[in-house]
Amino acid sequence: MGEGTPRVQMRGIHKVYPDGTAALRGVDFHLYPGEVVALLGENGAGKTTLMKVLSGLLRPTRGDVLVDGRPVHFHNPVDALRRGIGMVHQVFTLVPPFTALQNVLLGQEGAGLLRPLPEEQARARVQQLLEETGLEVPLDVPVESLPVGVQQRVEICKTLYRGTSVLILDEPTSALAPVEVDDFFRFLRRLRDRGTSIVLITHKLREVLEVTDRVVVLRQGLVAGELPTASATPERLAELMVGALSTLRVARAPRSPGQPVLAVRGLRVRDDQGRLAVQDLSFEVREGEVFGVAGVEGNGQSELVQALTGLRRPEAGEIWLAGERVPSLDPLSLYRRGLAHVPEDKARFGLALGFDLVENSILGRQREPQFVGWFGRLRGPVILRYTQELVRRFRVVAPDLTTPVRSLSGGNQQRLLVGREISKEPRLVVAMHPTRGLDVASTVYIRELLVQMRDAGKAVLLVSADLDEVLELSDRIAVMYGGRFLGQGPVEEFRRETVGLLMGGVVPEGVHADAARPPSPR
Amino acid sequence: MRTPRALRPLVESLATVALGLVAGGVLVWAFGHSPVAAYRALAVGAFGTREDLLETLAFATPLMLTALTFAVGVRAGLFNIGAEGQMYLGAVGATFVAGMVPLPPGVHLVAATVAGMLAGAAWALIPGVLKAWRGAHEVISTIMCNWIALHLSMYLAIHFLAEPGRAERTVPALPTARYPVLSEESTLTAVLFVAVGFALVVYAYLWGTRAGYELRLAGENPEAARYAGVRPERVVVLSFVLGGLAAGLAGASQVIGRPPAWSLYATLGNVTTLGFDGIGVALVGRNHPVGGILAAVLFGALAQGGRLMEYEVGVLSELVRALNGIIVFAMAVPELWGMLRRRLSR
Repeated sequence: MGEGTPRVQMRGIHKVYPDGTAALRGVDFHLYPGEVVALLGENGAGKTTLMKVLSGLLRPTRGDVLVDGRPVHFHNPVDALRRGIGMVHQVFTLVPPFTALQNVLLGQEGAGLLRPLPEEQARARVQQLLEETGLEVPLDVPVESLPVGVQQRVEICKTLYRGTSVLILDEPTSALAPVEVDDFFRFLRRLRDRGTSIVLITHKLREVLEVTDRVVVLRQGLVAGELPTASATPERLAELMVGALSTLRVARAPRSPGQPVLAVRGLRVRDDQGRLAVQDLSFEVREGEVFGVAGVEGNGQSELVQALTGLRRPEAGEIWLAGERVPSLDPLSLYRRGLAHVPEDKARFGLALGFDLVENSILGRQREPQFVGWFGRLRGPVILRYTQELVRRFRVVAPDLTTPVRSLSGGNQQRLLVGREISKEPRLVVAMHPTRGLDVASTVYIRELLVQMRDAGKAVLLVSADLDEVLELSDRIAVMYGGRFLGQGPVEEFRRETVGLLMGGVVPEGVHADAARPPSPR
Repeated sequence: MRTPRALRPLVESLATVALGLVAGGVLVWAFGHSPVAAYRALAVGAFGTREDLLETLAFATPLMLTALTFAVGVRAGLFNIGAEGQMYLGAVGATFVAGMVPLPPGVHLVAATVAGMLAGAAWALIPGVLKAWRGAHEVISTIMCNWIALHLSMYLAIHFLAEPGRAERTVPALPTARYPVLSEESTLTAVLFVAVGFALVVYAYLWGTRAGYELRLAGENPEAARYAGVRPERVVVLSFVLGGLAAGLAGASQVIGRPPAWSLYATLGNVTTLGFDGIGVALVGRNHPVGGILAAVLFGALAQGGRLMEYEVGVLSELVRALNGIIVFAMAVPELWGMLRRRLSR
């Protein structure tokens, strides 16, 4: 390993998305035959973007890609597959009612319009492939009836069947149960021994250390570090991953918190696939404090917030808001008790993009008595005055109030949304990724607003994948990993590297982790 | 400042009308007629005299209501194409009260109108409830309900509402249950005002009340509606009921508000396709109640003016229909395009 011509070389790759986001800012990457490389980094570090470039899904804005020493220009994933490069995405591309075999053959049928599928000849070849790689896939079952972990094997088999010798896997273990992970790693080693090069996109430190040969750490579109796995430690990787503190500082005076506003006991929530996304979580958020939940996305944060805000039914557990137990799936009763919710995806939950500013300013508040007159009539003049006030107070820039919010910038959309929620005079603010994708001015402004809420004695629950944001704004933090809190306590007790480790699922010595506790009897 | 944006859909629609007219003109010309003469006849036929204008409005009356059915559905995020069947049942309901239940003047007219509307709403409840609580797709269920309604209505018309001794139509509405005719030379009655009034009430409801806001929010962004505490089942049922009321009124309008029959034909011949036509009217009217009124007048003009075009210029009636189709299609494009884009962007 490490000698001769690399199988793949990427030099000075830049990628700027049409909306101006610079996802990659000059990345070098190479891969030798039979090598397993981990691509490690936080959300938005550019891991997936880099691999989408390599697999022909995205074209680089600048930079060269060389395969076996020769420059290539992929126009689509088929071009990349022809050169032996295939990627398995987090979201599968299987046809649910088709069998595994049919899915593997899809697009490779070799049949004419009226000629029958040469399914039986292909079956032998697929079977041979499965035996060689030790992948276990039931070929004649419709994939929709297979568990997610097996579906993933079908997806991998599909990619390998196309002659892939560079296999890119995007967060492959997020779909797997812990027991499946060990099998999966055995499979990866076997594949490597056959000479296949593997790129593992991940944020889990344990996986990196267990199965890879080399680690490349990305941070904010740049290579933050590169080292052989043999010489890597979790601490070193965490440090590379999270980097130094950013410079966007928000002043936060010390303050002693008061009574609990939100209390959560033994909360369990399932995700859309029926997996347990939140596992027996208990915590409190008190008056006058920001409780920050850090963590890499997809560790149950969305499901947690949705359960807390009445958008998802918890499987078990209790949620208490302002001393009362709240019913599930009833956002309005939560709002009445003082909940303000800044949702993770403003365009999806928090705003109706085709509606104008006035209509959006009462979204979720449309039943408040001040806005509704006789016979359920909306009180237009009152609502208009209130919208004008929102726009003025939260400095929303819009041509006029009848503009659809779709044509506002992301920063102005978020100002309107946050303004609307804050002006409810809430007791509890639940904010998820409140500054994601915003310009610097809006980011600072919205962070200041959250701190102002805290200073005014409100309880603030901040869930963010942006570690800087969590560390700067929070009085107490927790790190969410695999549906649990690994470590929970005052922010001063956490060093940045410790949080990085926890985000990667590694609990350093001396840190109290909720996960280490025996499960509470129920 | 407000007007330009609010008027943009209108300007777009007018531009596509012009495009459709040009395309239709080419078609007429290809068949050896003068487009100028044909369009002149169309315009004169539709608006030339007071009577022509009133007849255009008579054609427009049921269409603005069935358009409303479709438009309310779209605003709630539904594709309710059940106006046809709901309208049949509305006609049956109105016929029953108007022809077989003697009531004092005044009361009788109101009762017959309300009976038609309620019958339409009741029929709309079937796909509405199926959608809200069983998740049955409204396109499938409304199509099925349309067919059931067709045969059910014919059965009711022949077996229970038939005029003794006459097989081809039901009992006529009693004089106390007939809308006053506005002019002896046309078939327009005062039911026009009820139709326009109902469209305006629905407009005020959708844009001026909390429930209307929630209905439009559910159509615009279902997830944001959930965030706002809107119960999707309620919106589905509400929008079907509103649509059913409109369709039922459309059916009633052809029985108690349209001479000379004042009754429902046993074949339903005097009401068929009004519900489906409403879909096109709604698209041209940008799924807006007021837009639907204007679009319905346009459709009425095409129907009424087409007669003269056939008679005077000698354009075949099939060609008249093709021409109308082209114009309608062109006009529906902007809204269809917008609806498609919204679906794809989800």
